Amino acid sequence: MIPASFDYSRPSSVDEAVAALAAAGEDAKVLAGGQSLLPLLRLRLAAPSVVVDLGGIAELRGVREDGDDLVIGSMTTHATVLGDPLVAQHAPLLAQATATVADRQVRHLGTFGGSLAHADPASDLPAVALAVDAVFEIAGPGGRRSVPAAEFFVDYLTSALAADEVLTAVRVPKRSGWTSHYEKFNRTAQAWAVVGVAAMVRRSNGSIAEARVALTNMGPRPVRASAVESALAGAGAEQGAVAAAAAHALEGAEPSSDLNASAEYRGHLAKVLTERAVLAALG
Amino acid sequence: MTITEEPAAPAREVGAARTRKEDARLITGRTTWTDNVTLPGMLHLAILRSPFAHARITSIDVGPALSEPGVIAAFTGRDVADVQGALPCAWVVTEDTVHPDHGALAVDTVRHVGEPVAVVAARSRAEALDALAAIEVDYEPLPVVLDMEAALAEGADLVHPDKGTNKSYTWVFDSGEAGTGESTGPAFEGAEVVLKRRYVQQRLIPAFMEPRSVVVDPTGDQYTIWSATQIPHILKLMMSLITGTPEHKMRVVAPDVGGGFGGKLQVTPEEMIAFLAAKRLGKPVKYTESRSDSLLSAHHGRDVIQDIEIAATREGKLLGLKVSLIANMGAYLGLVTPGVPILGAFMYNAIYKVPAYRFECVGVFTNTMYTDAYRGAGRPEATYAIERIMDELAVELNLDPIEVRRRNWIQHDEFPFTTVCGLEYDSGNYEAATAKALEMLGYDELRREQERRRQENDPVQIGIGTSTYTEMCGLAPSRVLGSLRYGAGGWESASVRMLPTGKVEVVTGSSAHGQGHETAWSQIVADSLGVPFDDVEVLHGDTRTSHKGMDTYGSRSLAVGGIALFNACNKVVDKAKPIAAHMLECDPADLEFSGGQFKVRGTPGEGKSIQEIALAVFAAHDLPDGIEPTLDADATYDPVNFSFPHGTHLCAVEVDTQTGRVSIRKYVAVDDIGRVVNPLIVEGQVHGGIAQGVAQALYEEAIYDADGNLVTGTFVDYTLPSAADLPDFDTDRTETPAPGHPLGTKGVGEAGTIASTPAVVNAVVDALRPFGVNDVPMPCTPERVWRAIQEGGAK
Amino acid sequence: MKLEQNFTVPVPVEQAWEVLLDLHRVAPCMPGATLTSVEGDEFTGNVKVKLGPIMLTYNGKGRFVERDEAARRVVIEASGRDTRSAGTAAATVTAQLVGEGDQTRVDVLTDLSITGKPAQFGRSMISDVSTKLLGQFADCLAGRLAEGGPPAGGAVVGGATAGADTAGAADSGAAAESGAGTAGAAVPAMSAPAAPTATVEAPAEAEAVDLFKVVGSTAAARRAAVVGLGAALLAVLAWVVVRVFRR
Repeated sequence: MIPASFDYSRPSSVDEAVAALAAAGEDAKVLAGGQSLLPLLRLRLAAPSVVVDLGGIAELRGVREDGDDLVIGSMTTHATVLGDPLVAQHAPLLAQATATVADRQVRHLGTFGGSLAHADPASDLPAVALAVDAVFEIAGPGGRRSVPAAEFFVDYLTSALAADEVLTAVRVPKRSGWTSHYEKFNRTAQAWAVVGVAAMVRRSNGSIAEARVALTNMGPRPVRASAVESALAGAGAEQGAVAAAAAHALEGAEPSSDLNASAEYRGHLAKVLTERAVLAALG
Repeated sequence: MTITEEPAAPAREVGAARTRKEDARLITGRTTWTDNVTLPGMLHLAILRSPFAHARITSIDVGPALSEPGVIAAFTGRDVADVQGALPCAWVVTEDTVHPDHGALAVDTVRHVGEPVAVVAARSRAEALDALAAIEVDYEPLPVVLDMEAALAEGADLVHPDKGTNKSYTWVFDSGEAGTGESTGPAFEGAEVVLKRRYVQQRLIPAFMEPRSVVVDPTGDQYTIWSATQIPHILKLMMSLITGTPEHKMRVVAPDVGGGFGGKLQVTPEEMIAFLAAKRLGKPVKYTESRSDSLLSAHHGRDVIQDIEIAATREGKLLGLKVSLIANMGAYLGLVTPGVPILGAFMYNAIYKVPAYRFECVGVFTNTMYTDAYRGAGRPEATYAIERIMDELAVELNLDPIEVRRRNWIQHDEFPFTTVCGLEYDSGNYEAATAKALEMLGYDELRREQERRRQENDPVQIGIGTSTYTEMCGLAPSRVLGSLRYGAGGWESASVRMLPTGKVEVVTGSSAHGQGHETAWSQIVADSLGVPFDDVEVLHGDTRTSHKGMDTYGSRSLAVGGIALFNACNKVVDKAKPIAAHMLECDPADLEFSGGQFKVRGTPGEGKSIQEIALAVFAAHDLPDGIEPTLDADATYDPVNFSFPHGTHLCAVEVDTQTGRVSIRKYVAVDDIGRVVNPLIVEGQVHGGIAQGVAQALYEEAIYDADGNLVTGTFVDYTLPSAADLPDFDTDRTETPAPGHPLGTKGVGEAGTIASTPAVVNAVVDALRPFGVNDVPMPCTPERVWRAIQEGGAK
Repeated sequence: MKLEQNFTVPVPVEQAWEVLLDLHRVAPCMPGATLTSVEGDEFTGNVKVKLGPIMLTYNGKGRFVERDEAARRVVIEASGRDTRSAGTAAATVTAQLVGEGDQTRVDVLTDLSITGKPAQFGRSMISDVSTKLLGQFADCLAGRLAEGGPPAGGAVVGGATAGADTAGAADSGAAAESGAGTAGAAVPAMSAPAAPTATVEAPAEAEAVDLFKVVGSTAAARRAAVVGLGAALLAVLAWVVVRVFRR
């Protein structure tokens, strides 16, 4: 279908964007890559009176280093993140997960920040952001603020962003000595994950010194599998110990039932995929 | 008609892997699709559809829509109730079939979600869509009927209360009564082995790539309808009958059409609404659906409950077959809705010798979108049930699944073979196809691997599934259609015209919507007339140009339309012969025609090319007395029998027992479709057919919730697989020509779909046998497979 | 689908019945709803529901089908249509008070039906979210009933107060913590009694309720759930409002 009419604004700076959002009140929507918003507009499930397109704001694109962090501009496309050497070196989990997002066409338009701000627990990047303890940089009428990933994902389709705020960048701590893997289980190749697991591990001799594990589509928000992480810390880097730790995957998760899977099956998958993700990360 | 007696030239084009003429424009989209048609003053339509599955329309007011920007007109079912007539069902399968009226726009009652209730005409599509929100409709919800068995039960709520029942018809075939075989009663009584199974053909959505679109131009003396349809000729006839427009004042054009799969074999409410709007407003109008409209309100496929029972000896020889179907019609009867399950009636006995057979089908109304033809139309359902239960028989008797089939199939030297349904299978070689398939699969090695994995309790298990199929296509001998109460005939028509410069125009009654007819027809003409492939132009789809035809469905175009074309070409050669003899000053009997040249037999030297003759005919300066100055020829061909391609498909799957995920390790298809005109086109049809069959086995299902909402209303939830989800297919062919006509071709359009679904599901079940599983309902999603494993031991 | 809510309040049934008629205590429990007219047993209004970028505004009407003071039972039918034709929602709400000595059990049974675009997604968690939302309403209501005491009078504008709780994602802090059905976010706004005004005729524009900030629901495709819930809320709001007008 065709979207309902809206006014279109294409600011050239972050401040202009914030002003445009503030002026429009509750009825404005930010347009990033459009891969989540446009279908909603076409189905007329969303009909903002103003669409603020961030595509003209150059400062929001690109990956750079800043001390101990990578800083990824919110409007950086998935395709760019996938190919970026800094990401590959310092935060390869991002690229591993991004590679599974939808398909090539979507990845060339969809953005890193847009996907995160949409806060769909079934999309792949929120769990990754949680796992790496990313920090979200936000600009609003009141100035700039930062929100850690653990507080950024509030609920289904709901982030910590206020209606008049813009996500400008995401900081990802550079890490070395870690290996990672994103395990995604879906019904068809371009589909959302039925369940997904982001896993990072740091080895120390024959055991796991530390682990970071987060789950996709196991609740209204991405889930940090802290119980699994605790069980993995100090565990042997072998199948038996990992499987035992993975059995904790359901703790803190509230999987739902829908057309694709029942809550019970999701719970089972979470355990199996957590084991596989950690073992794959271990190599 | 005369068949050329001279030795035929070696085929240069027929059999060649020609890349398709139509592809450049189709793949890039640089052509005229129906939505590209733009006419001066054209208005755009938007259709308001019922959100309720069953409700009375207590009030409806389009007044507020009329004041929306750009809106020219709006109307409801009540405004056209006395002129809209009823949409047709051309296959009322029994005399007492309950056939409710089906108006394009609902008047008082809506009976499925998506049923049109009002239409807005505006200057732009956006304005028309915006205006829909202003229309005020009040509905009084009525009880919703969704479950077929509940619908048939005593005291059920009714979809059509004025009909007093939800049952549309009961159709029975009994070989004992028909005299084509024995009675099932005695066959089953005392049989050593009796197996009974229930299978469910889930509802599917044809999901063609190009959404439906229709433009109606009432300007001047004629009505012109452009539509993304598979059936321009049938549509023209139906529209003129229903609207009372004289047939010669009606023209239908199917421009390039982007796929159909049976889903565009329909006379749709949208086409009728566009016609009514154009007539009312006196202006051209266009309606193009959105994808979500299409999933919801273009007809659906399958949706049948199958109860199948076989009786056999301990050695695995079939004694009898009983099939009982409950088929979901939906809320109304579409063009061939009641006939689709019955088309499959003749295929449950499949490639086997079955002494006794009884088939019964009950059609049921529910408050859902109506079902109708979808790739295979009844035959995939039949092949699924019999191939699944043959695997069950193999397990029951501890026989190899190939062996149990071997013990029952028709032997190569037994053709032509009249089956227990009274059909005469023309030709086949099940042994050869199967042997080839087994070798291509590496069957023995895979069985060994399967055994090893079972011994080791490997979390990944292997399964091998078999599907030996035949199918009845090339719809169809007109007399047979008449005996089944089908409303039309099954012939096809072709005209061949040689132009003065030697180019050839072909007009075909077939209506390609992706099949590549322009290429295949060019190849046939090139060989028959000895003209270059590129000198042939194939015209189709416009009833003004192709004035006669029965359109494309049922894998009929090559099998019927191709023969008509072949016959027309032969008539052209026959017309050219006396003229050539005259020009060469010889007796026509001394001429031979080869490679496009007429030559006097046995003499060296120049002959006359058919192009030279065409030019001579145009000038007509020196033609033999009494000869009409034309080489143009028509032929209409009514097949004497269906064509029966066959094949063996073998599928090897890996099942991850921890997650339930199924992946296809290897898929082998050996098909026998008679003589092959273009192997690339055949490959395309086989690949596409297999993809849709695999989709039914593993991925797709159209689901309604308890309120009758289609919850798989977008491709997010209606999980269509893409190339990324499918393996490479290992394909090959055996070639047993179709007897009865020189072209020797059979059909192939639906064969892949017919064969593949049971091959895949048999493989999944085979992998899970150690867990005590004997069935996984389709689609075999990871969760269903996982649950089958959990519950299997409990059986 | 059928949804059930039960809760018990520590007041006797006669008092519970009376307090239930006290609109300005009860109405604020229904965020996002605005009443536009009441006539006898019939009413009209709208409910705005927001789910991330999705926003649906349901215009609807409803009526009392049954009210039985002796049996302490009320039945309301309500239905609404989305202003952009995204579909309809309809609910039949049956509320039953049962005296249990010093306590009263309140049983609310809602029969909910959703159509249109929001229904065409693979959600089946409408009951989960609807249950949560009704649960939140019920908890809030339980709180009102437990407070007991004479009516505080005052303007009944369900939307405005709740709007303050739901305006802006910046308030997420409190809501983010709310697990299943805590009414915590709503209660503090109520503790200061509203200044008495004459009637309930002036509906303030309700802030759209951002349901998922309030209830923290879990389903992946809850779009449709939201819709149905709006109608249910409208129904319950109507029930309470009409009680007041009939006094």
